[in-house]
Amino acid sequence: MSGRQTIAVLAAVLALAAQASPVRAQSLAYQIKANYLVRFAAFVDWPPAAFAAPDAPLTLCVAGQDPFGRSLDQAAAAQTAHGRRIVIRRLGRAAVTGCHIVYLGRDAASLPDADRPVLTVGDAAVAGRRATIHFVIVDNRVRFEVNRTAAARAGLGVSSRLLNLAVDVQERR
Amino acid sequence: MNWLATVRTRGVPLVALACLAILLLAGVFVSVTHERALKVELAREAGAQADLLASAVSGALAFDDAQAAQDYVDAVQVNPNVLAAAVYDENDRLVAGYARAGETIPPVAAKRPATTHFEDGRLYVVRPVTESGQALGTVRLRLMDTPASQRFSRYAGMMLVLALAALLIAVLALTQSALRRANRTLSLRANELANANARLQAEMVERGKAEEALRQSQKMEAIGRLTGGVAHDFNNLLMVVSSAVDLMPRSDDPVRRQALLDGMRQAVERGSGLTRQLLAFSREAPLRAEVVDVGDQIEGMRILLERSLREDIAVEIDVRRPLRPIEVDVGELELAILNLAVNARDAMPDGGRLLIGVRPEGESVCIEMSDTGAGIPEDVIGRVFDPFFTTKEVGKGTGLGLSQVYGFARSSGGAVSVASTPHGATFTLCLPGTDKAAPTDARTPAPPPRSGGAAHILLVEDDDAVAGGVGHMLADLGYRHERVETGQAALDLVREGRTFDLVLSDMVMPGEINGLALAIQLRGLAPALPVVLTTGFSEAAATADRAGFRLLSKPYGMAELAEVVGAALIPDGDHGKVREPGAGWDDPQA
Repeated sequence: MSGRQTIAVLAAVLALAAQASPVRAQSLAYQIKANYLVRFAAFVDWPPAAFAAPDAPLTLCVAGQDPFGRSLDQAAAAQTAHGRRIVIRRLGRAAVTGCHIVYLGRDAASLPDADRPVLTVGDAAVAGRRATIHFVIVDNRVRFEVNRTAAARAGLGVSSRLLNLAVDVQERR
Repeated sequence: MNWLATVRTRGVPLVALACLAILLLAGVFVSVTHERALKVELAREAGAQADLLASAVSGALAFDDAQAAQDYVDAVQVNPNVLAAAVYDENDRLVAGYARAGETIPPVAAKRPATTHFEDGRLYVVRPVTESGQALGTVRLRLMDTPASQRFSRYAGMMLVLALAALLIAVLALTQSALRRANRTLSLRANELANANARLQAEMVERGKAEEALRQSQKMEAIGRLTGGVAHDFNNLLMVVSSAVDLMPRSDDPVRRQALLDGMRQAVERGSGLTRQLLAFSREAPLRAEVVDVGDQIEGMRILLERSLREDIAVEIDVRRPLRPIEVDVGELELAILNLAVNARDAMPDGGRLLIGVRPEGESVCIEMSDTGAGIPEDVIGRVFDPFFTTKEVGKGTGLGLSQVYGFARSSGGAVSVASTPHGATFTLCLPGTDKAAPTDARTPAPPPRSGGAAHILLVEDDDAVAGGVGHMLADLGYRHERVETGQAALDLVREGRTFDLVLSDMVMPGEINGLALAIQLRGLAPALPVVLTTGFSEAAATADRAGFRLLSKPYGMAELAEVVGAALIPDGDHGKVREPGAGWDDPQA
């Protein structure tokens, strides 16, 4: 059973789950976010220079506390992006290096340089709006905002299909 | 190929069938090709639409935005051919979809690779949704294949043209076969007609022969009925001659001897005139219309009539002129007159008068023959012209006499009628006049007997008595002559180089060469040598006449001999067709 199946029923049960068990609801939300993290890889283009080799894997790093647990590994294992494997690195408090996507968890040490081709993703509720993409909860559903300016500065191409689904697209900063 | 044979026997040409087959094949080929191309096109369009939906819906699938997915799916509804469209996630659960009435979308779909296939008149298209290699789910479209009615209407035009062409070919073929059949029938009819015509011709010939025979038998019957009278007349003539022959040696009185000679000559002339007419009358001759003067004809029959009827019957002939000429067969006319005369004679068993009147009546000429007999009973008068009707005893008449008169009148365009009183019956035969002129009488005054001078005549005659008589006459006329008995001998003489001024030959002789053959050979041998043929036979005379030779019919006298021989000796080169008086069998006046 993959994470996708879980997500499929998530929307319907999220509200109930949140009321019934906040902890469980929180865990479901992170499952969904883990999936989305992996999916973002497919909707964002990195400059070729971002990869050491044509067949080099795409590295998804979790900085600071890891809220996903195994669900992120499961999601990454089931997918590829741009023909590359997706590998998960948990940085802890280490510096962000060699990453293509960085999730800014609680207590994340620092952000990578803004002009590095690294997609930063964060929870608006946890990390504020420092990242390029922020998860937000709208109508009890996990949605996201996209900061196009930040993406452009990092040299990343964001698919219009992703932008279409974003609840908000910021042009600032 | 039994059906083909059947169709062929009905006359449909092979070409028409081939055309039809080619048209059908072409139609089917075009339809199938077109249909296939249309399906490929439809599949391509549907695939493109599915691809478009798949690429548009990838984001919505990836980030669980069912609403956005539904929006994209709804956009597909614009295509009226799309029966159902659905988006499934990577676990084949329905995310968004719509279905037209009657269509259903399963909430969980079976896993399928990307496909485009037709099934049961539907087109099923499945396309995976991927983004940068990530499999996100599938989109599925169900399209209506082109409906049958639409497809039919698409090919209706072509089918119409095909049907018209087929109809045209069928009509042409049927027309042709009908024409062929009609031609066959026509030629069959033509054959039948030709056969019928041939039969008719044969029947006409037969009928002509039968009519000839009938006419001849009618003539013979008439003559048979005349025989008694003729024999009686001949007896009288012979009586005159016999008594004169007896008296001549006893008398030395030249006047009395001359009177006896005159009486004999008269008797012989009358006898020869009578036989000539009988011969002329009895000969078989084809029906031939001639322009004649009725008055002259009847005058010419006077001797025959006077002699052939009984002595106690007086014949009076009254011709009123002017008369228009008529165009009839002379033999038939004579027979009709004779039949009427015999009929009158038989009506007067105790003697009486036969009055023959000829008078003009309008454009016609009418001959009235009245007798002084007892008349015809009223119950019989309407039937006298019927064939085989007779009041005479068996063996005395066939009843064909008056029917011949009736037939002659009808065939000549005239009419015959009868009127009767207790004092006699009157038959009136009216014949239409003609505008053609009667041939002028070619009779020229007989040249006076001339002395033959140096003329040397070859006489060919098998009968010694006749040869002696003719020899005396020739000598008397001053001609020298030499006599041979056969045609062969005469021919030999001429071949030997002996020259003669004229050949006088009998026609009917023993030996291989008769008079006519001799004359024909001489014509080739010595064209300038005139030939005169003599005969007493009517058939031989007619033959010589047709061959164009001069004729002297027996019996003939000095005057006739002198006239014919003298004319033949005139060196005008005209030894051809000259009708001499007394030689023309169609001229009963002679």
